[in-house]
Formats: sequence, structure tokens, C-alpha cells
Amino acid sequence: MNDDILPLLIEDEPYYRSTGNEVELFSAAMTRALPMMLKGPTGCGKTRFVEHMAWRLKRPLVTMACNEDMTASDLLGRWLLDAQGTVWHDGPLTTAVRHGAICYLDEVVEARQDTTVVIHPLTDNRRILHLDKRGEVVKAHPDFRLVVSYNPGYQSVAKDLKPSTSQRFGAIAFDFPPPAIEADIVAYESGVSPDIAERLVAVATQSRMLRGRGLDEGMSTRMLIHAGALIAEGISTHDACALAMTVPLSDDIDLQAALRGFVESQFGLWP
Amino acid sequence: MISTPQAGALQGPLLSRRMAALRAVDAAAHEVVLTALPRLTAYCGHEAALAEAVDLTAQIATEAPDAARVFAERLYGQPEMMADAAGVRRWTLHGLQRHRNDAAHRIDYFRRNDPRPFFDQRARNDSDYLMEHRGGLIHYLAGFGIAQQSVDLHEPQDEREPAQAPTADKEMIRLPRRLDVTETGQRDLLARAMLAHIAAHLRHSPLARMAGNRRPMLLAMIALIEDARVERLMAQEYPGLHAVWSSFFTASKEASGHDLAGLMARLARALHDPTYSDTNTWVRKGRELFEEAAARDLRDVDAFDYAARQLSIDIGRMHLSLPIRSRPTVAYRDDNALLWSPDLALPVDEAADGDIELIPSAARDDPLLAQDLSDLDLRPRYVYQEWDHRLEALREDWTTVFEQPRQNRGIEATASFTPPTRTSHHGARRTPDRSIRLTRQAEGDEIDMNAMVENVVQQRSGLSPDGRIFCHHSRRRRSTAVVLLMDLSTSTNRFVPGSFTKVIDLEKQAAVMVAEMLDAGRDRVAVHGFSSNGRHEVNYRRIKNFDEPFGPGQRAELAALTSGLSTRMGAALRHATTALAKETTDTKVILLLTDGEPSDIDVVEENYLVEDAREAVARAAARRVRTFCLTLDRRADRYVRRIFGARNFLIVERASAFTANTNNTLMRLLTR
Repeated sequence: MNDDILPLLIEDEPYYRSTGNEVELFSAAMTRALPMMLKGPTGCGKTRFVEHMAWRLKRPLVTMACNEDMTASDLLGRWLLDAQGTVWHDGPLTTAVRHGAICYLDEVVEARQDTTVVIHPLTDNRRILHLDKRGEVVKAHPDFRLVVSYNPGYQSVAKDLKPSTSQRFGAIAFDFPPPAIEADIVAYESGVSPDIAERLVAVATQSRMLRGRGLDEGMSTRMLIHAGALIAEGISTHDACALAMTVPLSDDIDLQAALRGFVESQFGLWP
Repeated sequence: MISTPQAGALQGPLLSRRMAALRAVDAAAHEVVLTALPRLTAYCGHEAALAEAVDLTAQIATEAPDAARVFAERLYGQPEMMADAAGVRRWTLHGLQRHRNDAAHRIDYFRRNDPRPFFDQRARNDSDYLMEHRGGLIHYLAGFGIAQQSVDLHEPQDEREPAQAPTADKEMIRLPRRLDVTETGQRDLLARAMLAHIAAHLRHSPLARMAGNRRPMLLAMIALIEDARVERLMAQEYPGLHAVWSSFFTASKEASGHDLAGLMARLARALHDPTYSDTNTWVRKGRELFEEAAARDLRDVDAFDYAARQLSIDIGRMHLSLPIRSRPTVAYRDDNALLWSPDLALPVDEAADGDIELIPSAARDDPLLAQDLSDLDLRPRYVYQEWDHRLEALREDWTTVFEQPRQNRGIEATASFTPPTRTSHHGARRTPDRSIRLTRQAEGDEIDMNAMVENVVQQRSGLSPDGRIFCHHSRRRRSTAVVLLMDLSTSTNRFVPGSFTKVIDLEKQAAVMVAEMLDAGRDRVAVHGFSSNGRHEVNYRRIKNFDEPFGPGQRAELAALTSGLSTRMGAALRHATTALAKETTDTKVILLLTDGEPSDIDVVEENYLVEDAREAVARAAARRVRTFCLTLDRRADRYVRRIFGARNFLIVERASAFTANTNNTLMRLLTR
């Protein structure tokens, strides 16, 4: 393995609590070098899952958070200047392709569609990457894997994967784990007592019922972990819930009132 | 004409004017009011209050001529009710709305229905509060998985009655209009406590059971036990609810006494609050029975029914009986009618329902109700609120706006004129609003690093760089959508004083000018017109829509416009605001061209429509729609300032200046 990417190996096991057969499915797909797409609401553990799998498969992980100002050169690499003249600098995708890492493109739909087409030749049986600025064709390392994630919920129709892109991937749908497991996760990650974690999850479950009633997404597991961590720090439950859960979620007065009601129905009257 | 000595003291020009207006509308009602005036004078302290009574009669007369006389008779028979004029006004509007399709019920309402429930100021405050927070309450319910039911309020009731209990059925949860709480801050807590309790029933109670031959006493006991049971189940899942409900248990030996209601309240508290101790043996026994059953299985309804039966037998031995109109023992609890199937339910409280029939909400819009199919009106209709400044409240669903069908436009005319720019413009409008970063510019504020590096790379490799290495951030120009709203009422058919041009022709000229000017650019413009024939028929005409070019068809339609009917400005402004709400431009403007103040055939009160239009303008502003008025009425200063605000109107006195002024105004609006 190349020295450049050794730091990208994950040494300690990232905590991930499996809720189904996604670990087996993903491992099988990785064995067959199938590009994978992880779909699911924000904060439900997609990124953590990829980190966990990279650790499990003992592959380096190159993560790239996509945004709409991202250009193809941000992925592939560009020429830079040094004292002698010009020098080519590999982008994260090229690094992963050359040296055999897992390349994880987080929130891939945020990238413009003309940017995402550069991955097309990588995702079929060619497994090559064109670096047209350098006049090079990189053959993918046998260990190279491509994983993308996206959240089908809140993005508009304008932001969606082209069929020609999405059909190249296998996909696993993620959702929030069942309440008991989610409570375990919250308790483990944040350090609150299992009882508080259960109540936090119950608040989130109620908030998720408002999906489509003005809320694009309910409270995510991540929010609960933040709230739990604050509670473990000694912040009062109500303040922690307000800071990490209800206030960030919506600006709508009616929704705020309902969300505060949900907190109240778990933790009692607001002080 | 009004010369009775008692009344004389209060009569002035205002009352005479109102009486004249009433006589014009309904002579019979006028006669009755005339005889009632002396009696009314005793209860009305000042002339304005008398005028209010006359106004109301006229209002009813324009809506329902048959009911006006009945109302006038009521004024004669019961003059003391005018002591709360605003209450009577609310009551009148409620009757007119409620029975709009049923003349017999309407007459009956004005003859017999008691206006007193509408005098209750506290209930009004609480109702307003609940309606304002209704959205949040519905969300709150949804969080418990209750998505079937909506939330509404009970009918108004007399303030001397104790507050109603909430009720629930398959479609609707009704909350009381008056909330019995000591401090206003507790209102939302009480509302949540009510809804959480009903949610507990809907999730855990066996609903619509057959009551069979159970006696009312047993039913009351079962309900009491059931309330405690479902709350305990609910609190297992939502432990915070216990504290929410706790605030409303106040019963104690001292406070509640030894009658049945007191004992039941004490038992309810004992079942809820483990720390509460009670000396009464029956209460203690109830608690023991309940805890015993609860320890076995909270979901075993039969075991709890058994406990309730034991308790009711004991009550029988104590010779205590149920009060005739029993209320739930705790303020937030519902009447438990949902536990029993309706035919055998607890005796329905007749008085609470009153003599008001329930109209299915869809009925009024159902065109099939019309008897004669040839009368069928298939124009799209939109119902709007109207502001009643006397009540300081909105009259719900008061005006109906009809959109006129499009004139038969020559197909060849539209086909021959399709500007090619239109589609690209359309696409551009849908791009998200953000500043644009222009890269690879020959000049600019910043260096474009990517281009810079490429340039140097090319330079070093012996190629000639293109040199465009700058970028700059540019702002998208703000786009505007304008609705040009033309007043098409009869008055626009007259000549502008001192000229040979009709008002409507001036409006048309201005419309052509505005549409041509804006249509070519990137701003969006629509030309609409309106006229009204009472609140049930506000005609609204879209001469040019936002998405249409200002082509020959539109020009022909504009040219063919004629004047007629009245000016219900508020409804038209609301409809134009709705049309603009769909637009995605940065600024939205309604430019109203008119020649006079708002008026309509079914309104005799001065200021009513002015105040309504003012409210419509304020609402539009709240939806980020700006309004501006150009008027040809030189006496308009009296009302346009009130409607549109100090700087948002222009009075044009000369016909020749109208178009130019429209142009200037628009430029000002667009650049601002």
C-alpha cells in the first residue's frame, strides 16, 4: 500500500450498531467491486457506516463532501506551480483510484451533474479514470471502491441523480434505527443514562411524525447524541433539548410549539 | 320622521342618515326599527350605538330580507341586548354565516337564538388564542400518531354556564371556547393536557362500546377509572405527561367536600398522584381496587370495569346521586362520549347544541345544490375573508370572487405572436436565487486562482495564455412581478372632469403602457380587472396573465372591457395577492388604478369597505406584496391615505397626466 494513503487507514473501530443485514450486503458488494449508493435521511448514520466498513475491510477511506461549487478538477486533481515549473497534484478521487482506497462522495447530489459524470468510466467494467488535463488514463487499483451517499428527502427535483449515474450503483436504504436500538446508540455515543436516551428517542419519534406537515425531516440520531452529550455535561434536559433538538429543527412557530410539547411529554413541564 | 320625545335627545344627522339607508333597503324593517327606537334609546348611551343597531338591520336586510324584520322585532322586544353592540354584531354574523342556505332556520335563529353567549369577552379571548395556536396543537396531536382528527372549537355558550368539556369523535376534536385557568399563561398547558388526554383515549380506550343497560352512575365510574387507566398507559410511553396533567388536580377534602362530585374528583386525584393521601374510605377503596388491577395488567379493561362496578355499588349504598348535568371531574378531561356508541351514549346535552343545524362544510360549494342546472355557475370561485373594523375581527368566508372565463381569443392571433424570449426567461426564473460568480473574466475584483494557475502552466509550457484570470461576484438584478389591477366599476364610465376621456379609457392606456414596457424586460406583469355585485359576486378578470405575452388577443380583450357594477376593493386586493403569492420574484407589487372609494351594493356602512381594503393591504404587505394606488378622485385623500398608507398613493387630477404618472410611479416602484 502506498505511503500517501496509509494515514487514511482507520485504526480504531468506529462505533456502528447494525440494524439489519447492511454489513453483509455492503461487504458482498465490496468484494464484487460494485459501486454503492447509501440513501437515507440526514444524521441516520450513513457516514459512520462507511467509516466502520472501511475499518472492517481494512481499506483506506478518502472522504469528499460534495458541494455545488465543486468542479471536476476538485475531484481529479490539477497542475500547480513550484520552483522548477509545474507539478501535477492528484485530487482525492485520483488518489483513491491510483492507490486502492474507498472513495466516499458524501451528499453526491449536491455536486453539479457535469461534475459527477467523471465517475462514469470508473463505475462500469472499464474501471478507468481520464485525466484529460494530464493526458493520462489511470487504471483503477484492484482495491479501489466507490461509495456515494445522498438524502432523497429534502432535495428538490432539480437536485437529483441522473438515471445514467444512479443506475451504475447498488443501493442500500438507511433509516433511523428502531427505538430500542436508537436509544442504545444515543446512550453509548453521548454517555447519558439509558432512561434519558429512551426519552430523547421518543421525542425524536414524535417529531418524525411531523414529516410532511411542515418538517422536511424529523430529529436525527445525530441531534439526539448532541443533546445527550450536553445532558451528560450537566446541562438541564430541557435546555439541552431546546439547544440541540427543537430550536435548530424549524423556524415555524406552530411546529416549535408542537416540538416543545413533545419534549414536555417526556421530561415534564418546561421550567 | 323620528320625533318621539325620548329618542330625540340622541338623534342627530348620523342616525337619520342610517335610517334613510335602511329605508332604502327594506321599508318594512325600517318601520319596525322606527317603533323600537324609543325603547332602544334607554339602553344605548349614544347615537353611534343606535346607528349600529340600524346598520345591523340593514346588513341583515341585504343578506336575507326575510330575517331583517324578525331582527327588528327582536330589537323591539329585547332592546337590552343592544347594551353589548359588538356581541350582537358577532351573533348576527354567526347566524348569517351558519344558516346561509336555509331561510327557515335563519328566521328561527333571529327569532329565538340567544345572543348572550357572544357577549362573553373571556371566551372570545380564549377562542382567539386557541384558533391562533391551532396549527401547533394539530402538530402536537400528530406527534402522538393522531392524524385523523382535526381541532376545532365548540359553539359559543352563555358565560354563566360552566365551561364545556372537550369532545372527540372520528373527525373532530372540539375544545371549549372558554378555558378555566387562573392565569393566562396556563392556557396552552391546558390545551395540551386536553389533547394529550384525548390522544390517550384514542390510542388505548376501547371506543364506541355498547353501553347496554349500564346505569349512568356506572357509566360515570367506568369513565373515571378509564381516564386514569389510559393516562397511566400513556405516561408509560410519555412520562412527562404526568406533570402536564398534574397541574389540574386540585381536589382535596377541604376544597371538594363530600358530595359525589367531590368524592369523584378526590378519587381521580388519588389515582393520578401517588403522593396524595385521602381519609375517605371510598376513595381509599377505589385506589386499592385500581392499583390491584393495574398491578396485574393495565390493558385488561374488564378488570377495571369490575373495579368501577364495585365503586358504583358503594356509591349506591351511600345514597349519593349524580348531578343532572355532570361535568368531568378534572378540567382537562373530555366528556368521554367517545367511549360509547352514539345511540346509547350518555344523554346528549340539548342546550349545548342549541338550535343550530350542522352544515357539512362542503355543501355550500357543491354546485349540485342548485335546483336548476341552467343556473349552474361553473366559473372558478375563491372565497375570502373580510375585515369588520367594528368587531376587529375577520368575517370568515365572507366574499366570493369569481374569475371570469377568458374571452374567445383568436387562435391565429396568439399563434402569430409568440415572442421567442419567453421560454428562456421562464427557465431563468426557476434558477435558485444566489449571487453569481463570474469566473475567467478579463477584469474583475479578485484573481481566479484556477485560471491563474492554468495561465502560468500554459505560459511555462510555451503556450500563449488567454489572460482572463479574474473573477467577480455579481448580484442578480432584483426581479419584480406587477399586477396592474383595474377598477372596472360603473363609475369608471364617466368622463374625467375637465376632459373628454373616460376613466376606463385612461386606465386602458396606462395598462397598455405598463404591459408593453414590462413585458419586454425581465419583470413579470399581469393585467387584471375587477368589479363587484355584492359580497357573493366579485368578478375578477385576468386580461393578461403572468405567463402570457401581451399579444393581440390580450390587447383585444383589454380594448373590449366595459364598466359596470361596484368596487369591492378588499376582495380584489386579496385575490391579486393570492395570484402574486405564486410568483417567485424578489419584489411583488399591486398597482391599483381607480377613480373612487370602495363601495358595494350590500354595504350601507361608511368606512366598512375602506377599513376592509386597509386590512387587505396590510395582509398583502405581510406576504411581501406592496400595494400602490393611482386614483383620479380628487377627493380621495380622505380614504386612500387610510387604505394604502401615507406614501403609497398618487392622486392624479388631470387626465393627460395619468399615463405619465403611472409610468413614473412604476419606475419608482421598480427601482426601490
